[in-house]
Amino acid sequence: MGVISRLDRVMHNPMPLEQVDDILRPAGDNPVIERGFVTTQLDALINWARTGSMWPVTFGLACCAVEMMHASAARLDLDRYGVIYRPSPRQSDVMIVAGTLVNKMAPALRKVYDQMPEPKWVISMGSCANGGGYYHYSYSVVRGCDRIVPVDVYVPGCPPTAEALIHGILQLQKKIRRTNTIAR
Amino acid sequence: MSEATPAPAAPSILAERLAARFGGRIAGIVTRLGETTIEVAADDLVGIATALRDDPDFRFEQLVDLCGVDYLGYGEDEWRTSQETTGTGFSRGVEGQGPGRFKWDERPRDVAIPRRFAVVVHLLSISHNRRLRVRCFCPDDALPVVPSLTGVWPGANWFEREAFDLFGIVFEGHPDLRRILTDYGFVGHPFRKDFPLIGNVEVRYDPEQKRVVYQPVSIEPRVNVARVIREDARWAQARAEEADQWQEN
Repeated sequence: MGVISRLDRVMHNPMPLEQVDDILRPAGDNPVIERGFVTTQLDALINWARTGSMWPVTFGLACCAVEMMHASAARLDLDRYGVIYRPSPRQSDVMIVAGTLVNKMAPALRKVYDQMPEPKWVISMGSCANGGGYYHYSYSVVRGCDRIVPVDVYVPGCPPTAEALIHGILQLQKKIRRTNTIAR
Repeated sequence: MSEATPAPAAPSILAERLAARFGGRIAGIVTRLGETTIEVAADDLVGIATALRDDPDFRFEQLVDLCGVDYLGYGEDEWRTSQETTGTGFSRGVEGQGPGRFKWDERPRDVAIPRRFAVVVHLLSISHNRRLRVRCFCPDDALPVVPSLTGVWPGANWFEREAFDLFGIVFEGHPDLRRILTDYGFVGHPFRKDFPLIGNVEVRYDPEQKRVVYQPVSIEPRVNVARVIREDARWAQARAEEADQWQEN
């Protein structure tokens, strides 16, 4: 700010800043040149946007959901990472399967997943969602939510701590940063 | 609280009053651990329940719980549970024989033992601060039927649906007797002891049909054996360090 205002005084720029789209002006009096600019890859920009606003659909199924709430509450505060829980799959990028997925719930889980817009990712949270866990030999529990939806990150634990879930979300951010959308 | 809570009467007094009031209509009265249990014939269940609710001596206004019981394999166990085992430790190196450890095709047939299914009702009298347990065995073991208690306590509705769902006990006179917990189209009653623990179907997503499909269960039943460690390496380490006298060396 200080550098720019001093530059303005030196250059006697007649146009007030921050009023019109500077980038649209002719080159002669374009203050963008004085303010500097950034070049980046489009992939990096896309991944920056994607990792910075991962909105999970609220899919708490069991006690893991309580740890998910802890992760988003004041102490650990997932909002810092741009993670804001959405009540609708249409607004979500990530689904955190938090808890025991039973047979009766499986079609509903798949439907919610199908309703999410691309690109979308899935975090499987806890032993039950990873592979049935304690209820692996039960008559009513899906032995891992990867039988229903493709899973990107598995967070182990029974239940995982809120810190572990945040670690899983950061791992997913790393995974997203590795992907290329434009460059192949 | 302006009015003192009525002190709970001694369970034996309740048992005596029940015996005096119903006499031969009750098959048995047991008082153990301060709790009274009466056993009632299925034909007389609704009559006795109505009397327990309305009689000023009893006034059991509230039905706390209703559940089914399957007495198949009652008292049998895979491991020793007597008193001396807890002190000495024991290993459960056994083959799984207990209820539920079999596949759907291997499930036992014709296991009708006499007096297999029962319905247990827990009652609470708020007026008298008193509780009572009523047990009613189903007369027919092949098709267990007991009369519904929804006419006496409306709260029994979902409990009876649950008992029907999990045990297959039919409640005669129930207004809406359908499954409440298990999956849509579920086959069998999972809390019966001859129901395999792993069930008969499992689900997965079929990418070709683009929907969740059911398929026969793919895993083997298994008994998880708890490991008992008698020689703990940590104590061996401590003993070795003690014997080594490292401070003097």
